[in-house]
Amino acid sequence: MKKIISYPSLLNSLSYLLLAILGLMGSSELIAQDTTSTNVQVIKKKSFVKNTFDGNYIIDNQTVIIPMKGTFEFDIQHRFGTFENGWKDLGGLFANANMLLGFSYVPFNDLQIGIGATNDRMQTTGTLKYALLKQTKNNNMPLSVTLFGNAVMDTRAKNSSLPIINVQDRFSYFSQLIIARKINEKISLQVAPSFSYYNNVEAFYTEANLVQPKTNNSHLSISFAGRYKLTDGMSMIANYVQPITQHPMNNPNPNIAIGLDMKTSGHDFQIFLGNYGYVLPQTNNVFNHNDFSKSQFLIGFNISRLWNF
Amino acid sequence: MKKASLLTLIVVFITTASFTLFQAKPWNAPADKAKAANAVKSSAASIAEGKTLWTTHCASCHGKTGLGDGTKAAQLETTPPDFTKSAFQSQTDGSLFYKTSEGRGDMPGFKKKIADQEDLWNLVNFMRSLKK
Repeated sequence: MKKIISYPSLLNSLSYLLLAILGLMGSSELIAQDTTSTNVQVIKKKSFVKNTFDGNYIIDNQTVIIPMKGTFEFDIQHRFGTFENGWKDLGGLFANANMLLGFSYVPFNDLQIGIGATNDRMQTTGTLKYALLKQTKNNNMPLSVTLFGNAVMDTRAKNSSLPIINVQDRFSYFSQLIIARKINEKISLQVAPSFSYYNNVEAFYTEANLVQPKTNNSHLSISFAGRYKLTDGMSMIANYVQPITQHPMNNPNPNIAIGLDMKTSGHDFQIFLGNYGYVLPQTNNVFNHNDFSKSQFLIGFNISRLWNF
Repeated sequence: MKKASLLTLIVVFITTASFTLFQAKPWNAPADKAKAANAVKSSAASIAEGKTLWTTHCASCHGKTGLGDGTKAAQLETTPPDFTKSAFQSQTDGSLFYKTSEGRGDMPGFKKKIADQEDLWNLVNFMRSLKK
């Protein structure tokens, strides 16, 4: 069921936020210029805050981090089944699992491109991530802001139970503005509003023979995430995602997740407990029906292997 | 008699060869690199930044406190030296910077992974703090 949607209020809000942040950055640059208003050119290296997070991911969300230019990353993401069947499937470990294999590369400073594939709905994804602003050590720029987006294609064979008629019906999109601050060496916090869009959604005929979509094509969510460093190599991580859009039915549930992040020179490993059972952001945001109030939790892990070229 | 001489020759050859092959080759930084001055003054903040990098990139081989007893140390062909000893600490800052940056054999070079030179100097400052 195709729908034309408009979301001016979100775009306006995001634009104002970005303008405010850009304005803040601009004003500090101007002050810096005023202080060096002689003919002598003072070249002062901008020093950015490092390691706001330990890698590209924080549980089910992207972080503001983009690895340095020339970094090639191989990602493995895995989500087991929920605990609810108890011993029958060993707390979900023997249940159906969702996995994603992905590769990404940083061809230019602050820009990362990636591809990936998951067994869930046989979806393939292309991703783009760009660091718009980076927190500086002198606090002239107090925040890091990164934009993340993907385009996903559902590659399952057509059948009458799927909402796939044309090629474009297979596509969905996700975009997220990620705003983070490294509070101190131990604590980093992040907030990330996101927008998911499905070209086509499931629908049914009402008694009056009208087509009724089960969900809207578009969906808004907001994610909150944090890291607390336990040691130099290990951190506690947490993530909460709140759906905002109300759909005609099948409203998704929020996600609460908590876990551990372990980092080495070439690896980043996360293991966590959460509600999200899929591996692509729009699928999780729109289709999560695991309910934390019913203890529908599952174990998941992310492994990233990094190479520098 | 001939056999005994031949055997002696073989033993001498093997012994000499084994010393030649398995003795650690000296590793000296080029003179100009060894003379390079430390660009970051040692401070608690610099050492703390260096420690974070050490834990991520170095501790798995060199050990948490630089004793050469990291979890991967046993698998290496070259035994990591004890960084707490004067034999290591007598090297110049420039030499430590060069070796960390370029690497050799089992020791990978970190100029790509730790691209910011300030960070490499922070690491050198942390290595100095390992001295006993």
